[in-house]
Amino acid sequence: MIDAIENSAYAVWVRESPSIWAYTTILSLHAMGLAIIVGINTVVALRLLGFVPDIPVAKLRQLYPWMYLGFTINAFSGLSLLAANLSSDSHNWMFGVKLLMILFAMINLELTKVRVFDSPLVVNGTGVPPAAIRFAIASSVFWSLAIVAGRLTEYPNFVAKWVGFG
Amino acid sequence: MMDTIANLMLKTGLDNYVATHDWVWPVCEILHFFGMFAIIGTVGLVDLRMLGVGKGIPIASLERFVPIGVLGLALNMITGFIFVAGNPVGGPKEYLGNMAFLIKMSLILVAGVNLLVFYVFGIARAANATAPDGSAPLSAKLVGAVSLLLWFGVIYFGRFIMYNDTLLNAWGL
Repeated sequence: MIDAIENSAYAVWVRESPSIWAYTTILSLHAMGLAIIVGINTVVALRLLGFVPDIPVAKLRQLYPWMYLGFTINAFSGLSLLAANLSSDSHNWMFGVKLLMILFAMINLELTKVRVFDSPLVVNGTGVPPAAIRFAIASSVFWSLAIVAGRLTEYPNFVAKWVGFG
Repeated sequence: MMDTIANLMLKTGLDNYVATHDWVWPVCEILHFFGMFAIIGTVGLVDLRMLGVGKGIPIASLERFVPIGVLGLALNMITGFIFVAGNPVGGPKEYLGNMAFLIKMSLILVAGVNLLVFYVFGIARAANATAPDGSAPLSAKLVGAVSLLLWFGVIYFGRFIMYNDTLLNAWGL
């Protein structure tokens, strides 16, 4: 199964094509998508924590499609890179941690929409529910850990040495 | 010129430090990614708002997050310097002679000029005067579009540094 995916025409193209549009562009897109979703998330989180209070929280809801854009870019680029490197990534526990953190971050993003942005306080522009602070902190923690785990996925030997298993 | 810069960088002894401390490189990479999203999240969001996204968010208020982007840029200049001066295998020359790296540095420079244009020619003032629900002036839209293109270009060519040969082959160099 893993071999079949890794040896599929698409995975081979991603991994081995000398075209600039193959591996390296997909890798670049993955960094851009990260910057978009985590960057916007960070500013939204800072506002929910109380910074720059003259920004109306309700208006930040318009940034959700842009965060979804970042996520979509990274889902496609990420699946492409995964197909190309499936046998090594599937044995890399740090990669599993990264996926789990992204899952938590996305669930948190949706919960923030329902509990914060759809709350009567925000909709009526009269305030922000106290839970917003928890969602903001959770978002920063999950995305930070996702980035740390994502970078460490590239260094399995380093992780094995420092953590004790790999 | 390149030799002089490379030799100055080697005098820091960073290459030796990086070679003997295996945590430096991965930790700097993690920090470099944090700096990257800090820039895109703050500067990029002001650019997007000037282009008409997120009406109702006052541009001047959004600009108050930009110092975080500047902090990110500073962080990335420090970690970036460690990558170049501390490159344990190929040395600084591997970067200084790398087409993708040189394009990336040029794009950052142009982004700096773009920022200067934004502040010196009164475009920032005009943008800040935009009503929360209003459209930024055309000059601000242009600066925003150029800024977004440049910063995403920085990420694009940054990722190509390790795959410089792909770029050279594609361009027939």
